[in-house]
Amino acid sequence: MPRVTCFSRSRCTGVEQLDDQTIRSFCRLQDTFMEAMVEITARVPDLDITAVRGEIQRSPNTETPEPTPLLEKVIGVRIGAGMQKIFEGLLEGTGLCKQLIFMLEECCHGVILSFTKGTVERFPHDEEEAVEYLARDVKKHIRLYNRCAAFAPGSRIVEGIKPPR
Amino acid sequence: MLNYMRNKVMSVARVREDLLSVYGVLDDDLYGLWMKVGIDLPGMEILSLEAGWNRWTTPECRLAIEPLQEAVGMRIEPGLRQKVQKSISRKACRHFANLLLECCHAAKEASQWISTQDLEKDRAPEGVSGDGKKADSPSPSGGHEKGAPQKDEKPRERDSSAGIIIDLHVHTSKGSPCSSAPVDGLIEEAGRIGLGGICLTDHNHVWPPDRVEDLRRKHGFLVLRGNEITTDQGDILVFGLDRDIYGIIKLEELREEVLAEGGVMIAAHPFRGFLVFDAAQLGLTPEKAMERRLFKHVDGVEVLNSKVTKDENDFAGKVAAGLGMPGTGGSDAHSVEEVGIYATRFPGIIRDEKDLVQAVKRGEGVPVAFRRNRIT
Repeated sequence: MPRVTCFSRSRCTGVEQLDDQTIRSFCRLQDTFMEAMVEITARVPDLDITAVRGEIQRSPNTETPEPTPLLEKVIGVRIGAGMQKIFEGLLEGTGLCKQLIFMLEECCHGVILSFTKGTVERFPHDEEEAVEYLARDVKKHIRLYNRCAAFAPGSRIVEGIKPPR
Repeated sequence: MLNYMRNKVMSVARVREDLLSVYGVLDDDLYGLWMKVGIDLPGMEILSLEAGWNRWTTPECRLAIEPLQEAVGMRIEPGLRQKVQKSISRKACRHFANLLLECCHAAKEASQWISTQDLEKDRAPEGVSGDGKKADSPSPSGGHEKGAPQKDEKPRERDSSAGIIIDLHVHTSKGSPCSSAPVDGLIEEAGRIGLGGICLTDHNHVWPPDRVEDLRRKHGFLVLRGNEITTDQGDILVFGLDRDIYGIIKLEELREEVLAEGGVMIAAHPFRGFLVFDAAQLGLTPEKAMERRLFKHVDGVEVLNSKVTKDENDFAGKVAAGLGMPGTGGSDAHSVEEVGIYATRFPGIIRDEKDLVQAVKRGEGVPVAFRRNRIT
């Protein structure tokens, strides 16, 4: 059977600091059936969403409602732990395309990862030193313990660290 | 200039009549990873998975590859996201989990297109022969609680001069899907370590009063009813509101309801933060945080919670102090051995929810690190 693709998708998320207090994040989707974008701005340091807009340029579903007024329900929500549950609670059942809810989450994860990038840039380059540095980080942020394979028992990073209760 | 960028590309090819091959790549400023997933048609079951790293952040990220095999056998159906988040995200890596969900979603889109194409092909010579595949409905995980021996006692009278220490934030397996703690086990453990009472604060669920009264009598222990309600501004501990709230409620709407009922609201773990960076990195100061809308609509702040870091608790303590708001302590227990890690000491007698609400309103509670100060 020829290996021609029957579906292709590309999704791009980007984050830009507009000024000291404003961060913008966007997510663009392009696939065989759909083309859409979601853009948010958030206020630093609280990371509460101050503006959001969405656009569907191409979709097989012609009944999709105008996304921006629905997405605006999340204005004021803070980007951080628990946001997925809040987004789902505020937006599911409104008729908003689920893909756009996911793209909103992607925008927010982008914001978080843009700050994580700053943390990762401080990791030591030497492997052993990096393990020690990360072990100290786990002790400080114990919720990291067992958060993923790198911080689970069996990893050098958590060796000798007492699991949280 | 962009501070951060992530690109994901997924492609789906039908390599056999009954097999989709999905190839996905995630590449951002921090990570580079790829995944190849084999998915059967029309069952939409993951049959094979290969994956690899191109770039990673920690020296131990390599350990994520092996546990990815837990995805094999999963079906693309409602509930998949939760399954992937529970297993792949936790045991392997959340970025691989994200890419896997993307691959699965791409496969689903492709399969829908394929079934339309197949139907059209079939229709041309002889008519329709649809396969009508539908996802199974997800089964809710219902936890059963082990029964403890009946004691049928009235709650023990507490020494009022010493006050009472209550864990104000406890989740049971009956009321919170995320908890593994049976209510009887929690009460027995709370009694064993010397707490004066616990408050059941399940997620968006208030225990029926008669059921809680039964528990009080059965264990001879003070059990109170509360609720942890998710609002657009985060989780709020509510005492004195006798109804379930479904879904997400706006903070102001909840405030109106609670005030009408004469209850109180406590901002739960208000600075539960990110995993690898903190408030300082964001430039968040207690003064700045005090301006949050959240604090205009609550009666107190949870300043000791066992699910957040010491820094996050300290930060909450500074904000509460700055605002002149009472602070409370609660374990946020999701397992029996966590009950009482933190609690709140009240100087007077608390016999029921009314007493609790009044004591919180008067700002009488003092947060305490309870379990760690005892030999347990």
